[in-house]
Amino acid sequence: MVSRETITYLCGLSKLELTEEEIVKYELQVEEIIRYLDKLDSMTLSNIEPVSAEKRFYQLREDIAQSFEYDPFGNAKNRKDNFVKGPRII
Amino acid sequence: MAMMGAKDEQDSSTKIGLEIHCQLTSLQSKLFCSCLCNYRDKEPNKNICPICCGLPGTLPLLNKAALELASMVSLALGCRIPQNIMFYRKNYFYPDLPKNFQLTQYNTYGITSIGVNGRLNYGKKSSRIRRIQLEEDPGRLVYESNGINIGSSYTLIDYNRAGISLVEIVTEPDFSDPKDVRIFLNKFTSIIEHLGVCNTKLEGSVRCDANVSIQGGKRVEIKNVGSFKDVEKALNYEIARQKTMSMHDIKIQAETRHWDDTRKVTKQARTKEEEQDYRYFPEPDIPTILLGREHASSVNVKMPELPDERKDRFIINYGLSEHISQVLIDNKELADFFELTVKIYSSPKEIANWIVTELLRFADDDSLIEAKMDSSVSSQTFLFAGLKIGAKHIAELAKLVDSNIINRNAAKMILTQISKTGEMPSQVLARTNVLKTDDKNIISEAVESVFRTEQFALRDAKNNPNVANFLLGKVMKLTKGRADPKITLHLIKTKLDGLS
Amino acid sequence: MSKLYNLSANQVYAGIRARDFTAEEYIFQILERINKVNGKVNALILIDSKGALEKARLVDRKVREDEKRLGALAGIAIGIKDNICTKGLKTTCASKLLEEYVPPYDATAVRRLKDDDAIIIGKLNLDEFAMGSSTEFSSFGPTRNPWNIDCVAGGSSGGSAASVASSECSASLGSDTGGSIRCPASFCSVVGLKPTYGQVSRFGLIPYANSLEQIGPIGKTVSDVVMIMNTIAGADDNDQTIRVTYNTPGYALPSKRKMRIGLVKELTEGADPEISKRIYSAMDLYTSLDCYCEETSINYVEYALASYYTIAMAEASSNLARYDNIRYGFNFSPDGYEWNAYFAKARSNFGDEVKRRIIIGTYILSSAYYGKYYLKAQKVRTMLKRELGLLFKKYDILITPTMPVLPFKIGEKIRDPIKMFMIDIDTVVANLAGIPSISVPAGFSNGLPIGLQIMADEFQEQKLFDAALLFENETYIDRGPEL
Repeated sequence: MVSRETITYLCGLSKLELTEEEIVKYELQVEEIIRYLDKLDSMTLSNIEPVSAEKRFYQLREDIAQSFEYDPFGNAKNRKDNFVKGPRII
Repeated sequence: MAMMGAKDEQDSSTKIGLEIHCQLTSLQSKLFCSCLCNYRDKEPNKNICPICCGLPGTLPLLNKAALELASMVSLALGCRIPQNIMFYRKNYFYPDLPKNFQLTQYNTYGITSIGVNGRLNYGKKSSRIRRIQLEEDPGRLVYESNGINIGSSYTLIDYNRAGISLVEIVTEPDFSDPKDVRIFLNKFTSIIEHLGVCNTKLEGSVRCDANVSIQGGKRVEIKNVGSFKDVEKALNYEIARQKTMSMHDIKIQAETRHWDDTRKVTKQARTKEEEQDYRYFPEPDIPTILLGREHASSVNVKMPELPDERKDRFIINYGLSEHISQVLIDNKELADFFELTVKIYSSPKEIANWIVTELLRFADDDSLIEAKMDSSVSSQTFLFAGLKIGAKHIAELAKLVDSNIINRNAAKMILTQISKTGEMPSQVLARTNVLKTDDKNIISEAVESVFRTEQFALRDAKNNPNVANFLLGKVMKLTKGRADPKITLHLIKTKLDGLS
Repeated sequence: MSKLYNLSANQVYAGIRARDFTAEEYIFQILERINKVNGKVNALILIDSKGALEKARLVDRKVREDEKRLGALAGIAIGIKDNICTKGLKTTCASKLLEEYVPPYDATAVRRLKDDDAIIIGKLNLDEFAMGSSTEFSSFGPTRNPWNIDCVAGGSSGGSAASVASSECSASLGSDTGGSIRCPASFCSVVGLKPTYGQVSRFGLIPYANSLEQIGPIGKTVSDVVMIMNTIAGADDNDQTIRVTYNTPGYALPSKRKMRIGLVKELTEGADPEISKRIYSAMDLYTSLDCYCEETSINYVEYALASYYTIAMAEASSNLARYDNIRYGFNFSPDGYEWNAYFAKARSNFGDEVKRRIIIGTYILSSAYYGKYYLKAQKVRTMLKRELGLLFKKYDILITPTMPVLPFKIGEKIRDPIKMFMIDIDTVVANLAGIPSISVPAGFSNGLPIGLQIMADEFQEQKLFDAALLFENETYIDRGPEL
């Protein structure tokens, strides 16, 4: 059961601010979608290993330093001296 | 008797576990990108690239050498390295996290971190290592207040450190005494230095969080401990705090507390119940890395000598005592300095003595503290950074003493002098003619002179056997240490006998 | 020459080389065409006329002075889906959260196009962060189907397909996570390819679901798609999930061959009757061309949609966490805000569909449910891959409809998320299994396009091209709507 509390909790975890209408709407829609995903329950897959891409040790990146010649924060507006300005912590 | 029993009971029921974070400072680049690993003296946000800033569309590129160094740490701590390793995302939001998740390792759904089930012996005790994982460091937050408002109205973020390779070592709660934790951490530091994976003298390169519970109660985590030295203090405080609470029948909460270094107390941070669901799942952009069975053995071949092995070698090959060997390897710099010196002039016992008893004193000298504070000095001889002398000086000094050209006192004085000027001992000798004088005439003249001035001492001579040594001291002073003590003492004793 | 914009990519390349027209002439006409029709179609959300003309002049100079070094895509106008990074050109993912973002680097696929002298004409509309099947969830408004502007163009690469169909560019790049290239290609009657997972570098593709998606080409013809694919596919040090070591796959222009073809029954019969009919007649056509055809089944298809959405939304919820408006985003100063409140407020600017998927993805990944959904969904992938592996021992290719429905009216499915999800039923299989899949135009019903989907085993794109070209040559389906 996906309740209003569930939606609020999930929004807290994912940092989303919802309006009242959105909360009400999502309560229903999210419930419906999760119920559809419950289809997966009807399978017993205990011994199967999930498939994953693989790489060998020698194929990884060599430890060579290289600087990036441009400013990654190019046109960002929140800057002070060279710092990136963010909201306060407390 | 009853008191001691009670104490034992409490000690064995105290459980302490450690979580150590160690930067792999000897790498060239960061963990997932090619930015420079050495970020410490850079201006803010000048050591970054699209990957470590989390720009959209960038992908993590795992550093092969980081994996290798982390493997070495695992093996040095007796861990098993699994055949396949994976990376996971730890999802949470915070302004110092460029992607709002941290790339790390996680073993709940299968053993995929770089090391598990190890053990480290320290002294007569040992502690089990639960796991070792590779992960990335976040950026750094700087708080500033806007002049008008009280308190900070914004935070400044510097991403230079974001993406630096960290190895996290988690122990089982096998400690019951903070003293043991200190000894363990010293051993750990020595191992890390011998492996050459981390320069522990760099600021922030090693951090240690601890968790502690007493009498089987709830576990309290202590974070924000600034250095290894403070861990013992923080633990002692926390254990005392918990014991006091339990004596007053107050329940101890499972929580996270921060160590306040100024007030020397632990403060509440947040309760464990509020702890976040990090929603761990495997990082899709990094494939499973197949290490295979040969990986551990190929890493082993490349491993530098570990402290315990080195200590044994010092004892066996150089004939040093257990104690002196321990002192040397406890700080890798000393051991390195020793071996360098012995290479120049092979007199291990003599040289070890000079280093351990005389040279170390200079390292504590106030005038060198400033040099230690300079964090950009990252060379191996950091301990002796302000000292103007090196292995060749000590080697020559030892040689001079061994060949009986100067005596030990003279040598000490020369050492004091050359530590400030950096001259070679032979240069000082040439200048001041500090050669041992065994010219009997010069010595007897000096003895005569002292006998004339120390009349009071002579009167005591019959009853006091120490007078001879006293007089010897006076002669040495007069001859500026040049007189041969053996000959001088013999002359003095003869003369004293002659008096009675 | 007039109506240069109607030329296929191959024809443009040949024409410029033969000096039938200059690149500059061609680009002028493309820009005029865009000017004329984009208002109706809304495929392009950013037009780089200056950059395009500059590159065109460069190409023309090369043709005159340095022909030997002319790139394999010289002069061709290509549009780039706006979730693929283009250096110096705004890249927004059709989202407010990237409204002002200008990447300081090119995606590898884009760089390779540029290195081959292609001309980037602009950025193409999409569902926000590639989440959708109709390009209705865009902050720039929907892209309309050039064949019927009351209908959707498909999604999420709606702009990529519509722009090719309306001749606003000769070819385009899209991205395909659950059908996002093939769906709009089918709806707009053009050719669209989702390559094998690990063929084309994802460096510079702003991720929605990293374990499922690939960048792929869209063009008027199969040969055009092959041409683009040969440029963008290949090894790249910037992406550790690349599974090839060659610099270019070097696909040959397809050759006729006898193929063993399996028609997936459940998916074909599950489509609208008009569509089913078309696919069965495609099977008949292949049979008449000496191929061996029969009906077959994919048992795990039943769980494919649930598995796809579980994995996609889970990965999306994490991939989109970085959009907190601190390092890039839209104009909204953090001064004075406490960080939790600022993040939540900034992120409330995500669109409806994106917010919904983040919430569900967060739910799926929470430790209480991880085993129930995410882990199970990944295991379904293993089973699906195994089943397909066995099928591909029997058949060279599998065919199905690309979409179970005809292009629907704008607004028709937007209020019902599950109804919208259902139309992905034919396409998600290829993403889950990591196998290549192409959509080719198969005809019309009431003036609305139908697409034929062809799937092959991993790294067997050549077989797709062979089958697709065979079909294309025999069917002469219209590619150019009147606009």
